[in-house]
Amino acid sequence: MIDALISALQVLLLATGCGFFAVGTLGLFRLPDAVTRLHALTKADNLGLGLIVLGLLPSMPGVAAGLKMILIWLVVLATSATSAHLIARAVESSETDSTGRSE
Amino acid sequence: MEAVRDGVFRGLALYLLWWVLTEGDSSGLTAGLVITVAITLISLGLFPASRYRIRPVAAVGFTVHFLLRSVAGGTDVAHRLLKPRLDIKPGYRTFYTTLPKNGPRWLLANTLSLTPGTISANLKGDCLELHCLDITAVTEDDFRDTEARVAAMFSQRSRHEVEQ
Repeated sequence: MIDALISALQVLLLATGCGFFAVGTLGLFRLPDAVTRLHALTKADNLGLGLIVLGLLPSMPGVAAGLKMILIWLVVLATSATSAHLIARAVESSETDSTGRSE
Repeated sequence: MEAVRDGVFRGLALYLLWWVLTEGDSSGLTAGLVITVAITLISLGLFPASRYRIRPVAAVGFTVHFLLRSVAGGTDVAHRLLKPRLDIKPGYRTFYTTLPKNGPRWLLANTLSLTPGTISANLKGDCLELHCLDITAVTEDDFRDTEARVAAMFSQRSRHEVEQ
């Protein structure tokens, strides 16, 4: 009974996580420019991956493997925050450069 | 004394990392011990102990805050994207942080990038420029709240402790 409940919860978490990834990708198409697209990618993927990791945790063979999954999530968070920041900064400085010339 | 404690603490954290990366495989524990000791010694030479100490209780509070804001951030952006008419008013806002530089400011900028509505675009000194997906939804209160939680987590070490 408990096993079935956990499996059901896992399926729910994994499906929701994938949903957030899909919405993040949708954002790439719907949003108008680079920085707004970053919003969709960082936030939706952060939550999506978090839910997927949470959904997979009960299937992990041991504590160490579970912690490794959480570590993967944290490392992805750090990289996505850092790369988003760098792209946003690059966009911002190129905007300041081109004002006056192009617009 | 303080330096020894820092070294032992760092070594234990690295050994835990080894254990996690090898998924608890017992055949690698001896090799891990040797490597951990070597890495600890090298890392203490390259990155001496930080001027800050993390307060464990505040760190738990920050983690909970971060998780809740992540959920809010993901659902917020999903909600806006799934509306038939795209609900965004992008723009920049600038805030001045009172946090000390390096670690705390960096953590604030990255936390704000992952939580609702904001991406940190530029961090110059104490001036943090944020790109907002909806400029009307980003409030100074949210910023101050996250800032206060980051500040609560770091406690400055006394000069005496740093020098030892």
